[in-house]
Amino acid sequence: MSPASPTTGSGTVAGPRSGQRILVVTPYPPVRDGIGAYAVQQVRSLRRQGHDVEVVSPWPSAAHHHLALEGPKGAKALKKLMAGFDRVIVHFHPDVFYANPSTPTSRISTGTALASAFRAGPPVEIRLHEIDRRWASATEQVEASSRGGFVATQVFEQAARASRSVFKAADEITVHVPEHQRMMIDSFGVDPGRVRVVDHGEDFTRRVPDDQAAARASLGLPAEGHVFVCIGFIQPHKGFDRAATAFRGLSDDGASLHIVGSVRLDDPSAVDHQRELEALAAQIPSVHLHLGFVSDEAFDRWIVAADTIVLPYRHIWSSSVAERARLYRRPVIATRVGGLADQIGEHPENTVVDDNAGLARAMAAAVGREGAATRPISTWEFDGPVDRSAVQAEVHRRAAAQRGIKVKTGSAAEGSGAGRVRPGAVPEHVATPLRRLRAVPPPPATSARPGVSTVKRLIRRVIAWEVDPLREQLIDLQRASVKAAETTDARLDEVTDELDER
Amino acid sequence: MNDRRIALVPPRYGPDVVGGAELVLREVAHGLTARGWQVDVLTTCARDHHTWANHYPAATTDDAGVTVKRFAVVDDTPGTARADLVRTMTLGEAPTLAQQEAWMNDGLRVPDLFHEILDHAEEYRAIVVSPYLFWTSFAGGLIAPERTIVRPCLHDEPEARFELFEPLVTGVAKLWLNTEPEADLLDEIWPAHAPAEIIGEGIPVPGSYDPSGFRRRHGLTDRPFVLYAGRREGAKNWDALLDGFVAAIRKEDLDLDLVTFGVGEVHVPPDVEGRIVDLGLLTDRDKDDAFAAASAYLQPSAMESFSRTVMEAWLAGTPVIANAASAVVAWHCDRSGAGLTYDDTTELEQCLRFIAEAPAEAAALAVPGRQYVLDHYTWPATLDRMEASLEAMP
Repeated sequence: MSPASPTTGSGTVAGPRSGQRILVVTPYPPVRDGIGAYAVQQVRSLRRQGHDVEVVSPWPSAAHHHLALEGPKGAKALKKLMAGFDRVIVHFHPDVFYANPSTPTSRISTGTALASAFRAGPPVEIRLHEIDRRWASATEQVEASSRGGFVATQVFEQAARASRSVFKAADEITVHVPEHQRMMIDSFGVDPGRVRVVDHGEDFTRRVPDDQAAARASLGLPAEGHVFVCIGFIQPHKGFDRAATAFRGLSDDGASLHIVGSVRLDDPSAVDHQRELEALAAQIPSVHLHLGFVSDEAFDRWIVAADTIVLPYRHIWSSSVAERARLYRRPVIATRVGGLADQIGEHPENTVVDDNAGLARAMAAAVGREGAATRPISTWEFDGPVDRSAVQAEVHRRAAAQRGIKVKTGSAAEGSGAGRVRPGAVPEHVATPLRRLRAVPPPPATSARPGVSTVKRLIRRVIAWEVDPLREQLIDLQRASVKAAETTDARLDEVTDELDER
Repeated sequence: MNDRRIALVPPRYGPDVVGGAELVLREVAHGLTARGWQVDVLTTCARDHHTWANHYPAATTDDAGVTVKRFAVVDDTPGTARADLVRTMTLGEAPTLAQQEAWMNDGLRVPDLFHEILDHAEEYRAIVVSPYLFWTSFAGGLIAPERTIVRPCLHDEPEARFELFEPLVTGVAKLWLNTEPEADLLDEIWPAHAPAEIIGEGIPVPGSYDPSGFRRRHGLTDRPFVLYAGRREGAKNWDALLDGFVAAIRKEDLDLDLVTFGVGEVHVPPDVEGRIVDLGLLTDRDKDDAFAAASAYLQPSAMESFSRTVMEAWLAGTPVIANAASAVVAWHCDRSGAGLTYDDTTELEQCLRFIAEAPAEAAALAVPGRQYVLDHYTWPATLDRMEASLEAMP
């Protein structure tokens, strides 16, 4: 078998003999989680093959067991639970097992404990969903860190060794794309015979009929016109804003872009990104934002309703959305990040793009626009001569929109008089001093003196319950102040315009 | 797949389980079985919804032709997520989705039930989960949404607006509703809900009543009494009803006692001990006779999606006094003309006075109630609607 050839079936290379007791370690429903949604399909498949499957999840769920899996304690608890099973399948994401953010020392302790657990018990398959390549290399960790010197290098070397040992301890690593197979072999030093590419969608089944007209009707979409869909959790790294920007001008062809997903309100960056998307949807015709919880069934209906699925990700490991698109044979436009190119590249109807310009070209080509522009349509248009103040004003306006401040609708590019930039309209910005304030950082737990960092971290942990809420409150206050001030700025602009018109 | 095989998923099931929604699903199970459907009930081992203790064995049994599969409840979480959510809501803040997810999983969970559905969903024409608020419905209803029917028993309560429930309400095959006001509430909260049908529910019509025998069997005198049946707990406004009744009889000119049966503790103030009688759990026969013997039936709950006991009272020719805050029961009272509603304890007292002081008029008030139930809420008509709905499933 070629190392790059995906295999099918939920088992191992040889396939587990039927009737095995298998423990699956994974986030799990009904908690909403991408890996959990993937794993439950594997669990169903394994159970239907006759295996006795139990699941352990990192928090209470429909799993048979729940364990706090983070850190060395979590690894030890897992090791204890693994005894008695014939085989263990670990859906690996670092956030499940490691402190987040992890430190080199936490990677040493956790990695060592995890490797010990994986070596001691029944055969372990790690189904890899994500890992930072840099964890395998002391040099790359040192480069990415502000720390250096002999001690730091030694610590990073140990951390890298511990991270590599986790994957070397497993009997098998299964990945979804050849790039990750190469990474496991080349960077993490895993024996090539123990890394296998599996089909990401091997256990996926359809949840709705492939009836585009019915799906569009049920979602309130027009029957005609090219429908682009971006779907998934609303997070900055998904890059849905890139798709919105690339879509500019395509509404003239009757196309529409639908950004569908939910926002985790406890993630401030996601909430900010939501505001940015709302502002873009307000500015760009036929860009629609559908926020809210999307069930598995509704998820598939959106895929079926689409003509093209757009995956404009900035970072991703691999994509379940791409697999569900493949399940319904919907073409995908995706950026060349992570394993996406490997994952979708083999299908001729799919397009992999390298940058925003490529994304705009691919989307234009999808609606059949002849001679699609070689670069995105410029969105910077000005009434009258372009001078610094006009450009600066537009920069401020766009930045405010990106931060979620309600700005006048219609971008400079859309040609509406209201949206065009009037030279010389640079207001005094109330918000500027506030924006320049740095977000309050946590007390730094670092020191040049040996051992002091550890003590500081310990103190930090002890007083976190008292300090963190205050810090969060300060950040929230700062954010709210900026928003209030920028809203005032925007209102002042409007008043100035009104006075000028008189 | 057997075209006539369905699964019903209630959180509890059994002849000794107290709870309107659970009782209805049991009658649906028997009714559809009698019409040739193969009905599996997938439920928990619990009998008590306060403790969720595993009372019944985890096993498969037969209940008059209905296959009952019971799965053990796992309740091993500390309850901190639930407390956290209550605290958030008390502060007037909206809980985040993460808080809602943690809340849902911080209580009873039934992993084996979840995996039973995961393993066998395709074998059923439909999987009916009810009521919406329970883990069994939430987790079980999202495994095979294309063949899931949610019978939500929706109340106007804060949880009904949780983002958490959106997939359950919008992404399943169908919703089975009890009444038009429930449909209105659904439209208001979840305008993009899945296709909904007003199926209603049925009430068995007793062949006869024996009110004198009931009084005799339970040592009750001829003094007139008002009745409350069901869960004696805060969620049903039992405490408020008791307070209102006690306040009224302390005026010492109200010739009425209060008789109650069901689950939950009844704490009677010592000075009115003789005026309030707790009969505990009754047999079905005794229940019917209790409704017939009462001068009026009291429904204090503000969160009813149907109110089966109100129908049982009307079938027995007994008028109803209900909390006007329940849109559904107020609608029933208005539509039937056989019930009064109250907004506060003063109005409750006046309703009680009407029953005590004008018994003939009170009996006359109840007359249209029986026909109202027979016209709208009998099992044959309800099962006809359910069967038509099931037959329309792909």
